[in-house]
Amino acid sequence: MSRSSTLRGQAPLYEVISDILKRNIQSGRLPTGLVLIEGPIARVMMTSRAPVQVALRKLHEEGLIHRFRGRGYLVGAATADIGPIRRPIDEFQLDIPEQSKSSLEVRGTWMRVYDQVEADVAACQVFGEFRLVETELADFLGVSRTVARDVLSRLNERGLIRKGASSHWLAGPLTARVLREKYQLRAIVEPAALLLAADFIEPAEITKVRDEIRQGLTRETDAYEEAFQKHCLERAPNEALVEMIRNNRLLLSSVNEALNRLGLPADHVAIDQYRILFDLIGSRQINSAAEYLKEHLRLLADKNLARLKIVALVPEAEAIPRYLSPL
Amino acid sequence: MPTDLSAAHKLAAPPRVKRRTLRVIGTDVTLLEGVRQAAIADLQFDIEYESLDFLTCQRRAAMNPEHYDIYEQCFHNLDIVWYWGALQPIDTHRIAEWENIGDLSKLGGVSKYMRQGYGDAPVRKLYVQPDGVIGQQPMRFISMLPTAHNVDSFGFDRRVFGDEGPEGSSWAWLLDKRAKGRIALVDEPAIGLFDAALAAEASGDLSFADIGNMTVDEIDSLMALLETLRQQGFFCDSWKSAQDAEALLHGDKVSAQSMWSPSYGNLGPMQDHFIESVPREGYRAWHGGASLAKHLTGTKLGMAYEYLNWWLTGKAGAIMARQGYYMTVLEKTRQYLSEDEWDYWYEGQIARSDLAGPDGQTVVRKGHRRAGGAYHERVSRIALWNTVMDEYNYAARSWNRFISAVRENRP
Repeated sequence: MSRSSTLRGQAPLYEVISDILKRNIQSGRLPTGLVLIEGPIARVMMTSRAPVQVALRKLHEEGLIHRFRGRGYLVGAATADIGPIRRPIDEFQLDIPEQSKSSLEVRGTWMRVYDQVEADVAACQVFGEFRLVETELADFLGVSRTVARDVLSRLNERGLIRKGASSHWLAGPLTARVLREKYQLRAIVEPAALLLAADFIEPAEITKVRDEIRQGLTRETDAYEEAFQKHCLERAPNEALVEMIRNNRLLLSSVNEALNRLGLPADHVAIDQYRILFDLIGSRQINSAAEYLKEHLRLLADKNLARLKIVALVPEAEAIPRYLSPL
Repeated sequence: MPTDLSAAHKLAAPPRVKRRTLRVIGTDVTLLEGVRQAAIADLQFDIEYESLDFLTCQRRAAMNPEHYDIYEQCFHNLDIVWYWGALQPIDTHRIAEWENIGDLSKLGGVSKYMRQGYGDAPVRKLYVQPDGVIGQQPMRFISMLPTAHNVDSFGFDRRVFGDEGPEGSSWAWLLDKRAKGRIALVDEPAIGLFDAALAAEASGDLSFADIGNMTVDEIDSLMALLETLRQQGFFCDSWKSAQDAEALLHGDKVSAQSMWSPSYGNLGPMQDHFIESVPREGYRAWHGGASLAKHLTGTKLGMAYEYLNWWLTGKAGAIMARQGYYMTVLEKTRQYLSEDEWDYWYEGQIARSDLAGPDGQTVVRKGHRRAGGAYHERVSRIALWNTVMDEYNYAARSWNRFISAVRENRP
């Protein structure tokens, strides 16, 4: 979250969003049973989906919204016996305090635009190879070609796109080979980062995560994956290494997100593994933790390879924006 | 007091016990009406069959597990369904015939001297390992109960290719210029793609380091070759069901095509010239089975185990045999086949009488011998299994583009 949601001296974006949603749920403006989906909320808030995702997860943990059989969350506690209400969120005239409004607006165009493009470009790759054209991207975003070019070079820097033979920008395809290579890289660099980070890990943070896992608060492994990155790997006193880990994970988390959107159920074995991993770290057995991490990543790679196969049975996502043309 | 006497009688009638129902999803490979009726006759509950095409079946099995109790498909479909968390392990202690299931399923070959074949050999997906993945280290719990299976090749017109001769035919014939314009492939990326790959390797056009788990570059080369041949007019069509394959033959459209066992019984007089190949490179095999939905517990789970065990009583095996498929419990199956049937289907002997298929029609004429011979001979020659390889997502998308082009340009 660090890059996209914290600007110096401001509340993180996900907090701004979760405060707005909380306020509107508590006032009854958002009725019990209303279906909350990331995309439309992100549009209303003029942000990318990532902070909305975190905000929703937070509200879920606080019991203000709950999971149901469909996509997204329902307003209200899980006990509320009310069928899903499907209405666009912008019909509800959200009450947004001035301070939050300006907080949403000060995020620069570039940043807002970039996060959405990054999410879309990462997400499309499971569906094959796509071409990006600078002018089409600029038109789509309603920005100048200079901004579009900046966005493209940032995507390139982060390894999400590359120049093709005819000097077009290309994205994907995310093949099993790419997935394997990324996990292989993770298995090399992440245990190393964990060892470096050993003395900088905050025990209180680890205790908190261990408690969460034990109490079964979250059944989504992504939350633990993020906690591991934030509280452990990113503590490594080596910025280049941390940056490399972050970039390497970009496509992998987009695969997870794509699979979650298709309805992938909770992986209990993986949750158990995070519990063991955090237990080892919490008891300062860092060498064992690093070894265990390798094994965990090997298993995760195999499982994700198998899970990715289902994407072949799913028609190309309707959500692919028009500046991405399939090859 | 009731004034209507008939109403009083109704009260006295014995209570109607609603029979419980077991819901099975699968494909027309194993979901035969004859199987369902035979199972209902033996079991104390109703059985509903929902027969789907291959791709829909595996997608629904993975993503809608609450809509079925039993999932019947093949071991090569398991990766997708298992890792989507839709199934629960089967306890082999609750499978009465487990010990009698043959080595082809449990070891991957009919004996330890046989190689397993490339790709998704059932044993590689059979046992549930302690960390929840499926693998070949024997364990008490399994992912799918192995049932019907077979080895496939392709069919060819011997008026075009001549007789096979002692060395057998070759997969290369499936892309041979003698059949140019009269070739059709089965449209299923875990099956038809491998028919094409075996043909391309047999003809010397391509070679694969591991044909059962191709690299992206190998897939690109294969699809480029197929596209070149397509542009030269090699392919007349593709098919998705056995009926469609037979229709292509009856319409005099093909001289060589992917083809499955039951179809050879439905060719009528064409049986004399359209022949099931015994390829010198070996067969492409598949192995079916039945799995338990994740949600099953208590009574429902008990019914599901009864149904699984019923599959191994031999009755289903006999019905499968009459369309050319084998069962994992040979001796049980033999009890429900006539001597003539057993000797033809399993022993590879010349048919001593006309033999009927699952629906009673004659599918084998007296004097005919099964291509490839006996069970043991045929399953000893497995080159490759139907496979959902690591690059399936990539391969299936290129395959679909190729098939669309074939179908758009049908003559």
